[in-house]
Amino acid sequence: MALEQLSDVVQRCQANKDESFSPEDYDLFLTAGRTCIEQGDSAQVLSILVDEKNKNVVRCMGWNLLGPLVQMLLKKEEKNLPHCHAILSHLLEVCNPKELLVGLLEQVEEADSASIAETLTLLLKPLQTVLLRLGMKKASSVGMALSTLLSQVARLPVPVTKEQEEDDVFGLCCCCTALLQFVKPFVEEIKEKKDNNRISKDNELRVELLKFCMKSLSEPLLEVQLKDPDTLQKSPLRDFATEILVILSNIGESLPDLLSRNVLKKREVPGFLEEEVRYPKESLACMCHLLFVNHVAVDIFPAVLSPVFVLQCNMEYIELLLSRTEVSRLLKGLELYEKSLVRVEDNSLLVDLLELKTFFSVPLNLVKVMTLCPDQTLRTKGLKVFQLSIDKFNTEAKYKFFRGMLKTSHHAGVEGYVIKNIKNQIDFSLKPSNGNDWFLGKHLLPLLRLVLCLPHGPETDLLQNLDRIMESLNLLRYMLIRDKEWENETGIWTELYKIEDNYLKPMRTGLNMSKAHYEAELKSMKENKKSSSKDSKASACTVTVDNEKLPNMTPEMQIQVLQSALFTFDLIESVLARIEEIIEAKEKPLS
Amino acid sequence: MVKHMRGTGNKREILGTRVCTSGEMSSLEDIFSTNQCPTAVFTSQGTDVTPNGDRGVCKIVKQHGVEGERPMIGDRVFVHYTGRLLNGKKFDSSLDRKEPFVFNVGKGQVIKSWDIGVCSMQKGEVCLMLCKPEYAYGSAGSPPKVPPNATLVFEIELLNFRGQELIEDGGIVKRIKVKGEGYNNPNEGATVHVHLEGWCGGRLFESRDVTFIVGESEDVGVPLGVDRAMEKIQKGERCLLYLKPKYGYGKEGNKEYDIGSNAELVYEVTLKDFEKAKECWEMNLKEKTDRAVLVKQKGTQYFKAGRYNYAVIQYQQIVNWLEMECGSGMDEQKAIHALLLVAHLNLALCYLRLREYSLTVENCNQVLEMDPENEKALYRRGEARLLRNEFNMALVDFKKVLQVNSFNRAARSQIAVCQRKIREHHDRDKKIYANMFQRFAEHDDKVGRLKRKKEESGISDQNKQGLKRQRLSQDGS
Repeated sequence: MALEQLSDVVQRCQANKDESFSPEDYDLFLTAGRTCIEQGDSAQVLSILVDEKNKNVVRCMGWNLLGPLVQMLLKKEEKNLPHCHAILSHLLEVCNPKELLVGLLEQVEEADSASIAETLTLLLKPLQTVLLRLGMKKASSVGMALSTLLSQVARLPVPVTKEQEEDDVFGLCCCCTALLQFVKPFVEEIKEKKDNNRISKDNELRVELLKFCMKSLSEPLLEVQLKDPDTLQKSPLRDFATEILVILSNIGESLPDLLSRNVLKKREVPGFLEEEVRYPKESLACMCHLLFVNHVAVDIFPAVLSPVFVLQCNMEYIELLLSRTEVSRLLKGLELYEKSLVRVEDNSLLVDLLELKTFFSVPLNLVKVMTLCPDQTLRTKGLKVFQLSIDKFNTEAKYKFFRGMLKTSHHAGVEGYVIKNIKNQIDFSLKPSNGNDWFLGKHLLPLLRLVLCLPHGPETDLLQNLDRIMESLNLLRYMLIRDKEWENETGIWTELYKIEDNYLKPMRTGLNMSKAHYEAELKSMKENKKSSSKDSKASACTVTVDNEKLPNMTPEMQIQVLQSALFTFDLIESVLARIEEIIEAKEKPLS
Repeated sequence: MVKHMRGTGNKREILGTRVCTSGEMSSLEDIFSTNQCPTAVFTSQGTDVTPNGDRGVCKIVKQHGVEGERPMIGDRVFVHYTGRLLNGKKFDSSLDRKEPFVFNVGKGQVIKSWDIGVCSMQKGEVCLMLCKPEYAYGSAGSPPKVPPNATLVFEIELLNFRGQELIEDGGIVKRIKVKGEGYNNPNEGATVHVHLEGWCGGRLFESRDVTFIVGESEDVGVPLGVDRAMEKIQKGERCLLYLKPKYGYGKEGNKEYDIGSNAELVYEVTLKDFEKAKECWEMNLKEKTDRAVLVKQKGTQYFKAGRYNYAVIQYQQIVNWLEMECGSGMDEQKAIHALLLVAHLNLALCYLRLREYSLTVENCNQVLEMDPENEKALYRRGEARLLRNEFNMALVDFKKVLQVNSFNRAARSQIAVCQRKIREHHDRDKKIYANMFQRFAEHDDKVGRLKRKKEESGISDQNKQGLKRQRLSQDGS
């Protein structure tokens, strides 16, 4: 029945020489054709389509059959496959390439997430054939195709483990490999032009390929954690990443220039907005991660750049990656920072670098990672990289960096860590022949003033600032013991009377107040518990974490907390007392 | 490695004679194919090029270049090179990539030995260079290619070099005579203290110490090119600036200095000192809006004096500071909104005068996004489109102006102009040029922007007269 309809409409149209077919003809052709293909009559359909008499009809209307045809091919029913393939290749040869392109992309777009990989593998080759048929006018079509394809690929889940990449259940790896095959002839075309005569930066096909590379870098590659060759010898994703960088260089984008884009930016003539769009910072960040962390495509990257310059360039991207919250971005940012730092010699980074905005913002971002990131491993790694960055600064830069961190980090833990570093630097400087202007004498004192202070005087919350206070007191104790009064290399002894007034005395007052307060609380709590052991269960508020209600604190727990606070105060007091002792000992022989 | 050893036997014979006659090693391969340690070859034949003479970078000239033509600091240099480790292993080569390596010399972009070595080369020179680890990748190495503490041997050919372009259109080119310090540069609004020497065709026409604010050099008679270059100059730096007329005294020239129309200038600038202005991220919203008001006044002042390039700088600052701000509360939002609107409107007008029509349209679009019925934006976009020969689109804009304000007589007459132009074109070019303008405009939009900018040099003030009449009604924001 459908078959008769099909041959009817085709025959009717044969007579129509000027090819002005009516919409009814189109509809009928489509519905009849679809039914035939779906019913498994593809052999008969093929014979109608290849009939020389029907050539014109097929040329105009044939592309409408792409939909049902592709659906049939995806079903992979043995008996229909050969004929359907034959129909497809016939259509690809005969029909208008623009119409074919639209038809094929429609199929790509319609693929649901489960069938993306299969659809892509099926249609990439036909798409390529069609695009190549477009000849010189294909640039925008290539761009359209690439963007559609990548959007679909980006929907596929990214394999995380080595096994997942090997199994490739969702087909991301296979799609990436196929995409490379797909763009190959277009890249070749540009490369050939580039090698012969300088190609214009604005060549449309080149720009489309550039867009493709940039988009691939941001999605999926920024999401991917590549395995190193020792773990996974053959990795389609690593090959994909490598090839994207090779393509960039083949189409005339110099990788070192891309690296330094944001550092060596020329003054923009207003209106060059397109540049930003062409080179998204996120894609470049991914490129740098591939180059310097994964060591992908090292053979096409010059090995004469100075490590400090590479660090300076990478800081732009580290800043971007660390300002995000996704674990994958943060991890890449930390890795890139680490690898960029490792290449630099210890104690070599000059203080001038701290004038750069990124050297100010990256540490702040890092502090956020170290203190707020929910992922424990990232926090630990953050701290490691933080220390590494400190180690790379020269003495003056370390000094300035510590001062900056004490002023801006607003986190007692970080401040405590910085103070510990200050102590190490002082210790180092006090050793023979390590003397310097920054951690001894007149420069040190202003830094110490930042360390040895209580932000709110005696009222400062000692528990919240514990890390900072303990490190500060330790530092002070260390200096008083290590630097003898008659040597006074650090200058601490001259400053001591001020420190006593501004730091030690308020600390003592604060400590006494806190202790008294907590002891009173503890006492009343214990009495309460005795008097009404049941009542206290009703508390004023509840705390929920992740929608889970935390159990109310029992009186026992509350007592425990108070007790541990008191222990902490004892701890502070013991160090404080030791310091007071040393100071007293100094004062005695004088009197 | 093994390959090299095998080949040494007969090659040394041949090599020996060549070395005798020329006194030079002929290539990197030769150095590694002799049994001699490469370091020894450099000790006997190389010249130390390090400033402090520690033999950290030794050079053997293989082929002399053009006498006297050496790159200056900051120059963009083009080289081909091959790098090997002491054991002969090639770790990198631009020849393999078939692409010269390009960088700015003397600015710390490359390993120390390169900054020193390439600065010592002449154009066309080919040399061999031995670099101690302190001048290369030091104890850290460069994973995965260069191991720790590696001495490197390079063969370098200096293909070409040229000054550093500071602006996309190539109108300002810089070459550094004396390097400045640090990484800090003046920014827009910074106060700079400079010594200037201006040359025109080999004649020194001015030499003075002067202080100005970046973005406002016009106030002390310093040309735009010097002003725009400040952002790329460091404290203590002395450099040459090559200015195209657009960035010098333009079409009108300068009577006082006896500089004619469309003259190219060379300035030698020494940045003695500067005080930075606060960066966008260092200011809070209040500071930004306060400064925006001042900057707006300054911009209007320049606009009235016909200094559209300077007006653009001022208005653009407002956009840079405020476009990402949203403010809290209605009052703040309104203030930001109003400032941005005026900035874009005025930018549109400046660009109209500068004949940057696509930028005019862009800024009008920004305004219309905030306020779809903005009369001035619609009118200015119409003007720009009319001047871009997009008569139909211009017509639509002017008609919209009338919808918003039916008393706008200027728009009424512009509509007449559009209709006449459309008719004229229709009649005259009916057949031959069908669709031509449409296509022309589209093409213009896509690729023409760059080209147009280059042609624009020195026409900034040409356009004043014809538009004076409309300005009475259109200005004053």
